[in-house]
Amino acid sequence: MFAKMYDWIDERLNITPIWRDIADYEVPAHVNPANKMSAFVYCFGGLTFLIIVTQILSGMFLALYYVPDIVNAYKSVDYITNEVLLGNIVRGMHFWGASLVIIMMFLHMLRVFFTGSYKAPRELNWVVGVLIFLVVMAFGFTGYLLPWDQKAYWATAVGTNIAGSVPIIGPYIRTLLVGGDTLGALTLTRFFAIHVFFLPAFLLVLLAAHFYMIRKQGISGPL
Amino acid sequence: MAEHYRERIPGTPRFKRDKEYPPGTEPFFPNFLLKEWIVGAMFLVGFILWVIFNPVGLEKVANPEDTTFIPVPDWYFLFLYQLLKYFPGKYVVFGTVVIPAIATLALLLAPWLDRRKERHPFKRPIATATMVLSVLFMIWLTYVAAEEHKAELAKQGPQATTPGGQQGTASGPVVDPEDEGAKLYAQSCSGCHGPNLEGSFGPSLLGIGNRMNAAQLSDVISKGFPPKMPARGGLQSDEQVKKVAEWLAKQKQK
Ligand code: HEC
Ligand code: HEM
Repeated sequence: MFAKMYDWIDERLNITPIWRDIADYEVPAHVNPANKMSAFVYCFGGLTFLIIVTQILSGMFLALYYVPDIVNAYKSVDYITNEVLLGNIVRGMHFWGASLVIIMMFLHMLRVFFTGSYKAPRELNWVVGVLIFLVVMAFGFTGYLLPWDQKAYWATAVGTNIAGSVPIIGPYIRTLLVGGDTLGALTLTRFFAIHVFFLPAFLLVLLAAHFYMIRKQGISGPL
Repeated sequence: MAEHYRERIPGTPRFKRDKEYPPGTEPFFPNFLLKEWIVGAMFLVGFILWVIFNPVGLEKVANPEDTTFIPVPDWYFLFLYQLLKYFPGKYVVFGTVVIPAIATLALLLAPWLDRRKERHPFKRPIATATMVLSVLFMIWLTYVAAEEHKAELAKQGPQATTPGGQQGTASGPVVDPEDEGAKLYAQSCSGCHGPNLEGSFGPSLLGIGNRMNAAQLSDVISKGFPPKMPARGGLQSDEQVKKVAEWLAKQKQK
């Protein structure tokens, strides 16, 4: 039945070439750990993506309960942790996943760097990669405030003060982030919006560009 | 061995015509993706086990009055945080802007800084050495920052390190013992929090003024912690709660 359904859609939209283009891509021997174990370094990018997917999924489930205001943020995270069925697991995945994304992304970047894969013609993809790196760091910075506990509050207070100490533009950046003079209700809603709407949008666009370029240019050849 | 890689897993024929590919290559889907997925699944299992055995905690709710809390960023920002400490006073721009900007730009522009065709890491010693040294430097900064944070926590004493501040070790004189609040305290609260605020059944309230102001204290006392502490702490009226709260807010310790 599924074959029939697929044919029905394919007749109308001709979707086979789209996915076949990716499916028939010949994976070269030098990136395949089945050929040579040391090729596992080429898995880091894929594993980073896997953890990004789990971050998005766990984040979506956290957002079912999380309330971004200063009275309820802490209570809602407390509720997720102690009351919601498997809430502590979902929160744990999101919390530890944040660190894991950064570790895997860093290892992936080192692989690309040490194999010289950023060289022509892949310069643009390297630039996109560095931007992804910055976006993920921004995810970490904004997400850290959301539980609205002591460590969240004071880490963000210090972070935004450091941003404020930058000459000339610093005070403007700080006001933009904090939404006023003191860390409070506006800061939390800002960080929440940045963490959950702005950054995911940037990240998805950048990832699309990243993967498109990889497919277009193929993986870099053996050293 | 190389030959059989080029065969698809049975039942998933090739779509395009077979070209001549070098030995060892295999189609992305489903052959390679299946192996990738096995690796990914093992990775996820390890991750979930880690999550199960390392539950995430939650500290006390954010309290802008409590300036005794020692702030620390998440571990992946520690290297930047530590860098600042080496540029005191007006040189701090080197830590906040100059060095991070140079490092980020160098990373961003790496393809144009190193334009030769050579890719092997040993054949481009400058690029390789710069990256190895930068990574070692970042690891070292992170390590030093973590150690300094630990030392600061130890200096502050166990009160700050136990979330909830249950066992207060701050010891100092009770401020303003003739206040009306002090008398109400003696009647209603001292049984649990000690005649000199030192704590017994309930936690010590010495130095509570460092962490909470009068309004917050009124709030905490009015609600109490049923069943451990009755609402209003056993006091009769909100008026009395306010007096005790104002007196407790004065209990600051160094
Ligand atoms: C029956 C014993 C009892 C009485 C009476 C009592 N308390 Fe408590 N109080 C406790 C306990 C137990 C806690 C700790 C609750 C917790 O953290 O879960 C506490 C916590 C507190 C806290 C919060 C301390 C902190 O570190 O956050 C304050 C403030 C406080 N009490 C003030 C008062 C005042 C003021 C009175 C008198 C009006 C009073 N209590 C009477 C048992 C008592
Ligand atoms: C669309 C994707 C995402 C959504 C919808 C989302 C949503 C959320 C929500 C609702 C919270 C608050 C709950 C909590 O603190 O436990 C949170 C916290 C957090 N997020 Fe995300 N998030 C997303 C992606 C990411 C990514 C990619 C990172 C990786 C760096 C990240 C890092 C964090 C961190 C560090 C916290 C604090 C966790 C804690 O202390 O408990 N998030 N996120």
